[in-house]
Amino acid sequence: MNYSNIIKYWRVVLTVAELTLRHQMNDSFILFTILVQPILVAVLALFMLKDAAANAAMFVVVGSGLTGLWSSLLFISGNSINVERFQGTLESLIGVPTPFDVIVFGKNFANVLQSLLSMTIAYLLTAFIFKFDLSLQQPLLFFLSLIIAVFAFISFGLTIAPIFVMYREVQHWQNAMEYPVYILSGFLFPILLLPGWTTPISYALPPYWAAVALHGTSTGGAELNSVLFAWAMMIGLGMIDLLIASRLFKVMLYKTRVDATLDVQ
Amino acid sequence: MNAIEVNHLKRTFRAKIGVFRPKIKEIFAVEDITFDIQNGELFGLLGPNGAGKTTTVKMLTTLLIPTAGSARVLGSDVVADAQEVRKHIGFIFGGERGLYWRLSAIDNLRYFASLYGVEPEVTKKRIPYLLELVGLKDRGNERVEGYSRGMKQRLHVARTLLHDPEVLFLDEPTIGLDPVGARDFRQVIRDLRDAKKTILLTTHYMFEADALCNRIGVINKGRLVALDSPANLKKFVSDLNIIEIESFGIAQEKIDQLRKLNFIGSLSIQDQDQKQILLIQTERGAEAVPEVMSVIGDQRVGKVIVREPTLEDAYVRLVEG
Repeated sequence: MNYSNIIKYWRVVLTVAELTLRHQMNDSFILFTILVQPILVAVLALFMLKDAAANAAMFVVVGSGLTGLWSSLLFISGNSINVERFQGTLESLIGVPTPFDVIVFGKNFANVLQSLLSMTIAYLLTAFIFKFDLSLQQPLLFFLSLIIAVFAFISFGLTIAPIFVMYREVQHWQNAMEYPVYILSGFLFPILLLPGWTTPISYALPPYWAAVALHGTSTGGAELNSVLFAWAMMIGLGMIDLLIASRLFKVMLYKTRVDATLDVQ
Repeated sequence: MNAIEVNHLKRTFRAKIGVFRPKIKEIFAVEDITFDIQNGELFGLLGPNGAGKTTTVKMLTTLLIPTAGSARVLGSDVVADAQEVRKHIGFIFGGERGLYWRLSAIDNLRYFASLYGVEPEVTKKRIPYLLELVGLKDRGNERVEGYSRGMKQRLHVARTLLHDPEVLFLDEPTIGLDPVGARDFRQVIRDLRDAKKTILLTTHYMFEADALCNRIGVINKGRLVALDSPANLKKFVSDLNIIEIESFGIAQEKIDQLRKLNFIGSLSIQDQDQKQILLIQTERGAEAVPEVMSVIGDQRVGKVIVREPTLEDAYVRLVEG
């Protein structure tokens, strides 16, 4: 890919992200997923931790924000292609010269940015309703971790959407995939509490490394090496996800054009 | 030079039949179609529902992969060079779908301009121009969900012209439009033809095809059964006259009896509210009327007209044989 294509595709990503955000602003399901559900998770966890220290509350803020991110990724990004198919816009998107994976990247970018609101809402709730004294222990490292986590989440989301399009039986398990990732990624409690055999599964999940970096830098006490290692894992897994997604998109686009399933009336 | 070249194109679909031990049935949608469309030509593709028109258009617009055969648009293969083909074509499928209803018309156009790789400074000028062209200049900031069907169709036209494509595929673009909307839409198509765009138009409306197209291909059961200019297609039925009989609830047995008369080439029925118009093609013209009326007997009828054949009659003869 040459420089002019990168500029051209980045422009497409930004336009798609902006218009996806505008389009989704009035969707009540999306508002529930990114705003209401993380608040419920945060309230539940804060009542459990009401006598705990402030850094435990910060853990809840970041953790409930991550639940919003994952739910958004699973349901909104995961369904993004199928939603286009059912509203009749998928053919219009496939029929343009821009590669389809670039378009879906832009849509996922919007979904991830939008779901960062979950973390902001959880922060405001914890600080102003539950009166915890919250402060980010390593703000620079935290925000760098957040940027890398956004990339890792978008890339992970790109692998999910084509699978849901090609294998409808997998989509039936969509609801059942939400909580295991909350648990296996250590969003709200450390994975040390889980049986040892689950650890390799956690290590293979980009959300786990996002949780390691974000929890570590927000509550303090994280060593630089462990943060750098989490970043490397997020970037590495993100790149692998991009390669897998690129292949999955090729297969999906070919299969849907052979099976005539781009449009479902 | 030909803008579109179609060679022995075929397309089948697989349908699953039965729940327990399902069987796969292969359905032929397009069977061996070959035709060319010249640069700047407005080509009509006519045929009954399920004839294979939309399937053909979807293969040419890279949205379906042919089962066999090949097709090229401006020299690029629709399968191997799909991305290249997409840069130069625009398409409209009839109906209201294909737009983002919760976005305004301007936002829809911004979105697709970006996806077609139109430069931002060009987009800024082209969106107001296109909104004016399709008569939506004053409604551009409104959400599409509040638009009428005709307005959505016109927005589709604007979307299709964003990147100034050389080849346009219009699949039943006037379907569902009111008469005034359809007339305005036909004027847009005429303007595009005058601007030397190559256009493939599918339609059910014969007068539309007659008025607009340089050449017409008639497709039936996946095969091209005729390909010529509207004037030459009409010659195909020059030996016939058409008897039009206005009837009110004519019995099926009477229609069956009429079909058995050896001088009747074909008989089709158009339902119009409470009445049915029987269209009888015959070489005997007015001489056949008494015998036809004797078969109809005491059934209630209105006007009876004998007239020259039109393109629609040629179409009926081609499709019904």
